[in-house]
Amino acid sequence: MSNFKSRGFYIKFYSFLPIIVLFISVLNEFDLNYLKLEYFSFNFPFILIFFFTLKDFKNFDYLLVFLAGLVNDTVVGLPLGISSLSYILICIATSYLRNITIRPNPIKDWFYFLFIISLINSINYSILTLFFSYDLLLLSYLVNIFFTFILYMFFAYLFKYYLKGLND
Amino acid sequence: MASSRDDFIIAIRSAFLKKSTQQKFSLLTLVFISIFIIVLSSFDLKFIRYLKAGISEAVYRSSFIVSIPENFLKNTFFEIREYSTFFKNYKINKEELNELKSKSISDKITQFENEELKELINNYTLSSDKLLAKIIVDHDSPYLKSIIINKGSKDNIKIGTNIYDRSYLVGRVVEVNYKTSRVLLLSDLNSNVPVTIAPQNIQAIITGTGENYGEIKYIKEGISNLISQDSIVYTSGTGAIFKSGIPIGRVDVADTGSSKKFKVDFYSDFSQLKYVFAELVTKIDVKNEDQKVDAGNSQINNTVDTKLQILEDEKKIIEQTNLKFKNENELLKITINNLNKQISDFKNEVYDQKQIIAQYNIDLDEIEFLRLNLKFGHTCRKSFLNNDGFEVGTLEYKSCVMNKGQTDE
Repeated sequence: MSNFKSRGFYIKFYSFLPIIVLFISVLNEFDLNYLKLEYFSFNFPFILIFFFTLKDFKNFDYLLVFLAGLVNDTVVGLPLGISSLSYILICIATSYLRNITIRPNPIKDWFYFLFIISLINSINYSILTLFFSYDLLLLSYLVNIFFTFILYMFFAYLFKYYLKGLND
Repeated sequence: MASSRDDFIIAIRSAFLKKSTQQKFSLLTLVFISIFIIVLSSFDLKFIRYLKAGISEAVYRSSFIVSIPENFLKNTFFEIREYSTFFKNYKINKEELNELKSKSISDKITQFENEELKELINNYTLSSDKLLAKIIVDHDSPYLKSIIINKGSKDNIKIGTNIYDRSYLVGRVVEVNYKTSRVLLLSDLNSNVPVTIAPQNIQAIITGTGENYGEIKYIKEGISNLISQDSIVYTSGTGAIFKSGIPIGRVDVADTGSSKKFKVDFYSDFSQLKYVFAELVTKIDVKNEDQKVDAGNSQINNTVDTKLQILEDEKKIIEQTNLKFKNENELLKITINNLNKQISDFKNEVYDQKQIIAQYNIDLDEIEFLRLNLKFGHTCRKSFLNNDGFEVGTLEYKSCVMNKGQTDE
């Protein structure tokens, strides 16, 4: 009986893993910046949110994504709501892509991801510089977009394994 | 055509408004809430400040806990790296320690002198206590360079409190919560610090670059050439944001061909900070002896206050005059430099003209010689018939020609 219960807990934990990882990544800023690799940074939450909302993953609640954005703003020190807006815009973009796609294609998704993160980072940059007078390096944004785009396929591959494990 | 537009509208509407079975809010609602929060956070309302402080408090603590495994791995990596260079560093440190010990004594004397002088200048003195604070969140974001410390308004931390790593400046507090605070590092793009560059005593402002070094900007034209490699940069205290005399780093002059760039290598490595010191400053009025004696008499006190007010006003006027004189002095210096340059130019011109005149005189002599040579050359030239003559080209020959064929004898 207890074995059955503990198995149920693990299954539940496993099914909520993406949202847990999202919260860990925003709290921990999981982007390997401390390795001091010059011109290397990527936005892991963007990849995670894009992939799982595109797959319409049932335990990936939009409200939790929104809250993760607020947490990210607090940790990074940005004005509250900026990251939430970015994350929700990704959700809208993936929802739109889902509605118009009949036969999904990973390469098309990949380039759509590049377009979306470029657009969102542009909005982000504009809000921060125009309304909050932040000094930001445009190059950092471009590098971040590039590596996020490059690493998307790698993480998408890992996430597919996760989804496969969940279905099994 | 119309049908594809309808499809697009349907897809967009569905993306914004349709809720899946598990979703509690539509995406459009969440977008509006996000925008509402962004607008609210741009206003500095008391309620929002408290709310933000509450959220920050909870999030910073959670972030600290979540970061423990990663920090453990990171620290282990750094420790292993440190051990590999341990002995080499030990030798260097030992030498440095001996040097510093000898310097420390003279520094203390200078410090006491400095305090005394400051008391003389102002009618108050600043007493400062350094409070040890632990860094609980240190995420090296590519955009913003800041750290979170575990001291807040409860520990008398205020916005603008200076933060140190040993005696080196690290940054200042930009956000205060009850038990945590955010420190903007000197390396952040939004950080600007008024500094003095020693030994040249040049005033400048250094700004963060987003990297682990700063850059000297806003320097007076014409004096940037005076800055040399390894000049020391410390706070000037201008603007009263940072205390004066806090060491920041050393200048690294990067020559990029057409222009020079002045980088500042910070003394402190911001990526390796574990603990920092927050300086709590309290202002204590310095009462002179007369005031102490007359403390009981309020009327006299009023008189003293008035006198002090007058003295303060006088001091302000003197400071303003002083500043004016300084500016005038600067202008005069520039004028003197310009005049010196003009004098030097004139001297060069006079020298050139003298050269021309000398050449002209030589030419005149030559012409005169040639003219006379035609007339009297045959009388001076040594020949078969003229045994008393001279060889052509000799000084005697020239002298003979110039004397119109008559020899000196």
